[in-house]
Amino acid sequence: MKITKEIIERIEGEATLELEWEEEKIRFAKIKFMNFRGIEQILKNRPIHDAIAITPRVCGICSSSHALAATLAIEDCFLQEEEPLHITQKAHDIREIVLNGEKIQNHIKWFYFSILPELKKMANVSFNDAFKDKEWLEAQQMVMESLKIVAIFSGQWPHGSFLMSGGVTCDPTLSDVFNAQNCLDSIIRFCERSLFGCPLDEFLSYDSAIQIMGSHSQLTSAIDVMMHFGFDSCGRSYDRFLALGSSYMYDGALKSVKTTVMGADVKYVHESLENTFFESQSSGYTYSKSALYRKNYFEVGPLARLMLSKDPLIRDLHRRYKDATLTRVVARLAECAHLLRRTSFLLKKLNLRESSFLPPKYNLNYCTCKGVGVVEASRGTLIHEISIKNGYISQYDIITPTVWNLGNGDRQNPSVAQKAIIGLDSIQKADFIFKSFDVCSVCTTQ
Amino acid sequence: MTTMRKSKIVWLQGLTCNGNSHSFFNYPQMESFDTHFEVLYHPLLLGNITFEALLTDDTTFDFLILEGALSRDPLLLQKFNHPFEEVLDNLAKRAKHIICAGSCASFGGIFRLQDENKITGALFNGKQKGGYWDEKKNVINIPGCPLHPRWLVDTLLILQKENKISVDEYLRPKEIFSYLMHHGCLRNEYFEWKVDSKQFGEKEGCLFYVQGCQGPMTHSTCNKILWNGVSSKTRAGSPCLGCTEFDFPKKALYETHTNMSLPQTPFGVSKRAYYSLAGIAKSFKIERLERKLIDEDN
Repeated sequence: MKITKEIIERIEGEATLELEWEEEKIRFAKIKFMNFRGIEQILKNRPIHDAIAITPRVCGICSSSHALAATLAIEDCFLQEEEPLHITQKAHDIREIVLNGEKIQNHIKWFYFSILPELKKMANVSFNDAFKDKEWLEAQQMVMESLKIVAIFSGQWPHGSFLMSGGVTCDPTLSDVFNAQNCLDSIIRFCERSLFGCPLDEFLSYDSAIQIMGSHSQLTSAIDVMMHFGFDSCGRSYDRFLALGSSYMYDGALKSVKTTVMGADVKYVHESLENTFFESQSSGYTYSKSALYRKNYFEVGPLARLMLSKDPLIRDLHRRYKDATLTRVVARLAECAHLLRRTSFLLKKLNLRESSFLPPKYNLNYCTCKGVGVVEASRGTLIHEISIKNGYISQYDIITPTVWNLGNGDRQNPSVAQKAIIGLDSIQKADFIFKSFDVCSVCTTQ
Repeated sequence: MTTMRKSKIVWLQGLTCNGNSHSFFNYPQMESFDTHFEVLYHPLLLGNITFEALLTDDTTFDFLILEGALSRDPLLLQKFNHPFEEVLDNLAKRAKHIICAGSCASFGGIFRLQDENKITGALFNGKQKGGYWDEKKNVINIPGCPLHPRWLVDTLLILQKENKISVDEYLRPKEIFSYLMHHGCLRNEYFEWKVDSKQFGEKEGCLFYVQGCQGPMTHSTCNKILWNGVSSKTRAGSPCLGCTEFDFPKKALYETHTNMSLPQTPFGVSKRAYYSLAGIAKSFKIERLERKLIDEDN
């Protein structure tokens, strides 16, 4: 049996794959994340609200999601103490606008900085220098526009500050909101012109894969290359999806096996240290934990969210290609379209007359309790669990989306990404499939 | 545009969240950047050379940009199956200038707190001199969590043109870090008249007295050049966390640390001067500053 070590470049952070080959096919894959930072440890014995400032530093590309998960975890502590906080609609809306802006940035960056260059490389289209590539430069401008929307409310990005248990700290003016709306409009125009090749509303009305295949758009070109290289039939995993955080697209927390959607609950989440250095310095081989739902691996992220909300376009792609790489890639861009429309709606309805923040009347400094915060981040379900004792953090636990998708299972029960890679005949395919999950190794090895 | 020799850049990451890379991707004039610089290797971008080729090549380059805290312990940090030490020593020898991008590379930052003996900044371990290296002549620190994209590019441009840049005792460019976060803060008038913020979520009041704002002690141009072209922490109603200083992150970031109920004094201002003036300012009640900034009733 042959074993090869492959490095995965150009993802958030870095990862290596150790592949076992048999008869020219990948028989098993160990996914290794080697750089460990210990944020959970660092948070111990710090005052409770430091979590809102420290946890964004888990990840430079989804820092607002972490800040929000930490805030929700602290707010859950108030609920556990039977002193629930009232969060105004304005604060809820601003939180969602910031989260959406960050997700839009993520999706655009992932497609133009990571996926498109890989596809160009595969198709032998030259792509040597990002700083000279017209599409890259235009996408970078759009990334900046989406982060401007975020910064208008959160002060800066990455690592903005705008959250506090009880609401948000910013108090925007109407002109700030118009500024954000204008930034959003320029992204919508870009997506209509380049990415989707049609008006946003038309794209969002699609219910058949055929409708996105014949147009002159970067999405169609990407689909063509993916079909050419067989990504419509490889990269399939368990066909099980999970979204534990709330979204306007569906009600509550959900899971599905294939297309059957059922309710889910964060209490069934189990974290495994199997194969990690935390369990054994000698036999462990990664710093990434694994997350399971009732002992099963589930895929999280945009594909999961759109499958669970029964989005007609993604359901049609799924009917044809199941959870193949192609479906996963299109889902992420389709979610970008949904987020653009939703954020535009939120900015228009934002009621500035409401309070941004209502100070808590109850003091957590004298209680011992535990709170959980769940956020649907760009790459999927993000969970923060905070335990507090006498005003200080006694324990902090983070489960990131990449832990769900790219943990390490064993041969009998491989993780989502392992299952998607096993059986392939080339490292190039494995590399691309890996990237289709939008790997974030920095989040994973928090 | 005149043709010139482009300065070559290699970007290397230690223990990091990638925040400085993503902040750099917010630099608004990338096409202009491209006329000055050539990025040989950046871990997030598809470039001309792979990581392996970068290591085997022995050509020199102008800037080694370091992002993230550094460690010689291979159990904490390695680069694609290579010990980090081997990679950094190789690249550092070939670089004319070493730029520490962000607080982690400069001082160790947040991640240093995991193990202060093993994780450090390049030349500083917190305030302590001597970090990953004991001494090195060609290191510049651009702290911040993350750094502002203009702090990085402006420093590179100055070094490219002048070949040197004036720095403070923490090796931070004076051009940038002689300013304080406090400069340009929209809440300055409330600071002058000692009107503190009553609660989060309002435009009014200074965040220095209760909410833990470290703006008057923190060196940066956040409120001069703004973030993402539009805002800053204090403009979004949140306190400055002091992220460009060697002691970031302090404990209790949303509380003002007081000594006998008095806050720390602003950078370089004596207690006597500050408290005398503060006492006088506080004895007046400025009615306008007690009202809403945008006052619909008057």
